[in-house]
Amino acid sequence: MLTARNLTVHLGHRQILHGVDFTAKAGEVTAIVGPNGSGKTTLLRAITGDVGYTGDARIEGLDVARAKPWELAARRGVLSQFTGVAFPFTVAEIVRLGQSNGISGGGPDLGERALARVGLSGFGHRPYHDLSGGEQQRTQLARVLAQVWDPTGKDGANWLILDEPVASLDIAHQLEVMTLARDFALSGGGVVAVMHDLNLTAMFAQSVALMAEGRVVTQGDIGHVFTDENLSAAYACDLKVNTAPANATYILPHAASA
Amino acid sequence: MIRSLLLSTLVALPTTALADRVLSIGGSVTEIVYALGEQERLVGRDSTSTFPTEATALPDVGYIRQLSPEGVLSVNPDLIISETGAGPLEAVELLRAADVPFIEVADGYTEEAVLQKIRDVAKALDVTEKGEDLAASVSADLDEAEAVAANVEPLRVLFILSTAGGRITAAGENTSASAIIELAGGMNAIQGVEGYKQVSDEAITVAAPDVILMMDRSGDHAASDDDLFAHPAIAGTPAAQTQSVVRMDGLLLLGFGPRVGEAVRTLAGELSETAG
Amino acid sequence: MVAMTHVDAATASDRSTTARWVMVALSVALVAISIASLFVGATGLSPLGVIGDLVAGRPVDLRAQVVIFDIRLPRLSLGLLVGAALAVSGVVMQGLFRNPLADPGLVGVSAGAGLGAILAIVLGGLLPPAVGTAMGYSLVPIAAFVGGWLSVIALYSISTRGGHTSVATMLLAGIALAALVSALSGIMIYLADDAQLRTLTFWGLGSLAGATWSKVLAAAPLMLVGIFGAPLLARGLNGLALGEPAARHMGIDVQILKRFAILLVSAAVGAAVAVSGGIGFVGIVVPHLLRLSTGPDHRYLLINAALLGAIILILADMVARVIVAPAELPIGIVMAIIGGPFFLWILLRRRGLLEM
Repeated sequence: MLTARNLTVHLGHRQILHGVDFTAKAGEVTAIVGPNGSGKTTLLRAITGDVGYTGDARIEGLDVARAKPWELAARRGVLSQFTGVAFPFTVAEIVRLGQSNGISGGGPDLGERALARVGLSGFGHRPYHDLSGGEQQRTQLARVLAQVWDPTGKDGANWLILDEPVASLDIAHQLEVMTLARDFALSGGGVVAVMHDLNLTAMFAQSVALMAEGRVVTQGDIGHVFTDENLSAAYACDLKVNTAPANATYILPHAASA
Repeated sequence: MIRSLLLSTLVALPTTALADRVLSIGGSVTEIVYALGEQERLVGRDSTSTFPTEATALPDVGYIRQLSPEGVLSVNPDLIISETGAGPLEAVELLRAADVPFIEVADGYTEEAVLQKIRDVAKALDVTEKGEDLAASVSADLDEAEAVAANVEPLRVLFILSTAGGRITAAGENTSASAIIELAGGMNAIQGVEGYKQVSDEAITVAAPDVILMMDRSGDHAASDDDLFAHPAIAGTPAAQTQSVVRMDGLLLLGFGPRVGEAVRTLAGELSETAG
Repeated sequence: MVAMTHVDAATASDRSTTARWVMVALSVALVAISIASLFVGATGLSPLGVIGDLVAGRPVDLRAQVVIFDIRLPRLSLGLLVGAALAVSGVVMQGLFRNPLADPGLVGVSAGAGLGAILAIVLGGLLPPAVGTAMGYSLVPIAAFVGGWLSVIALYSISTRGGHTSVATMLLAGIALAALVSALSGIMIYLADDAQLRTLTFWGLGSLAGATWSKVLAAAPLMLVGIFGAPLLARGLNGLALGEPAARHMGIDVQILKRFAILLVSAAVGAAVAVSGGIGFVGIVVPHLLRLSTGPDHRYLLINAALLGAIILILADMVARVIVAPAELPIGIVMAIIGGPFFLWILLRRRGLLEM
């Protein structure tokens, strides 16, 4: 269980979050959606302990504000939108950083298995900086996965917290990464992901929190949250759920998961 | 410390052989050793010891303030005579630990100081009488030179150490340059400043030197007459109007060794030529 | 150079294997070069003669004994410590600032130490004679060390707000501090007399010529703390390579890491600069060479940098003391003359790897 109660965050003099309540259950993929600037990433940064907040945030009962970094690291891995790497590491070395800093322990081949999960088998020896943006992002995901390899531990579920995990990926890899997240949840782990793609969200998330202007407008299962009124109001534009546009080609990724 | 070492050396000398492996540190000390005719006993010198020219054939143990202890020991000296300021202190300490007598002689920019330095070096070399003779002849030479200098019209002399980067470093009061200028009958144009200092262009205009005095050398400290008088600070001075610049060998001019009389005579001669 | 064995498309495990072999090779080389350095010097004396005499109980020539035990041996010790301390500090600073060009001097140690030394050289004469005599030639190193520490404390306080140290602020404040220090140094240089000026110049060039046992013993603990403490930071610095948030997400207490890194570096560099003056170059070049050959993993980098830094400094000092014997060159000059072109050559040869 990951819970946030009445979270308020100020950055400088600006208030970004206004008393947010948010819940994610282990065994589910919980998505956070909303327009740009609605506070999705700030909410994520609050529950990962990156920004100070008032209110209460807990991961499996662990108080985020008070926990030591290594206590948190034992419960959850975090994938940021962008991770800059300062020195010429290889892909395998990056992934091993997650492993050696995490709780998973794992075998010597854990790094290679984590790379295989993100479709980067055999990339271990490559210099990280030679990879494309999408490959780099998947390397980082493998690193996060190596940190919390097992979806559950003796103290409960482990968590993957992902900030736009598919933003720079092609559609095949989007599906691959989302499947990975869903499998992690199906095995008992918890997944919280900030998402921009509402279709993918609808496909993979069991619960979704819709944010606008620093508040969670509503949270619940897809059918409850993704309504014409909710989305149109939150994104401030006319959106229709489950309706194909009249005069345009559109791609239906749902077939892939069938 | 120095005094006690000096004493112990003097006490020790009659029973031991004359020090015949002498390391001379400091241009004026080396000159004195040569003037005393004791150069056969020298085994090394420092980088400032460039006169007489024969001295440059001796092994050079480096700059007086940056001696390498092992370098000094490598010439296997049994006596070191140095001007004041030899260093680093750790090196000097190690030389003492290695039982090498280390004698520092005081510097000074007066006739008495020069004569005393000669006597001190002579005493260290255990040739006291030769020292007295040399002191007497240097004294007579200097007196004679000063008599010449007394007739020189007291010109304002600006000693320029360097014009590197267009900034002028000049001699203020209590410098060897100031002392030699006054001995030669001139007057140091820069007053109210101690030591060799960078001076502003205005200060030089105010100093209104009749003559510029510089060391005769090449490198970044050198400046051609044209460059010199084109310098905005100097261009407006009387020296620039008469194109008066005197260049002399640095060690001769500022060394305050046995050639101090020659330095005074040469400088006085140049000055009276300028005045005439 | 043993460390330069270059592995192009090495796999990660290959690189760590290489790094371990490099560690062994560097250790062997360090021992060999250390022993060799005891044989090299202007006098041409060999330690074997002195040791032979000592073992056989024969009377030992005092000068030979001084040369081997009071000149070459403390100098070797100081070279080992200073080289290792500067190289390790370079690695730590580069890891902390996440920039391969960061210099140990960035935390303000060098600037502060320089000012301390200059103050001591120029104003040392104003101290009550009793104090001056008691401190003797340790006055300049002590002043340098105090100056280095004061500026680190100043920089750290300026850049720490609410328990968070901003390395960017520290960098900028360091630049401001360096400007202030250079202005104060300028004033001191104006006040200095001719002799003091020359002492200042030579101090700035750096040298191991002033090595004495008392200096070695005074400075060794601080440098050893830096050299042996730094490997404890390896895991944290590896994590920090991915940025502060990622490091924190992986369980690293970034604030504690920064505090320890700054503490270790200022102790080691403060002591190194105090006893050897300004020796540049080691802190940037050694880590860079090692990253090119064995990768950026700090678990190996920190140890290998200590070994290679010591080797390079001892080699440079051997050159410094014989090349113009019986005089000697300041080691800073030797480092620049030999190291500069060598480093450029490496850069040109490996230009591809640097584009990151």
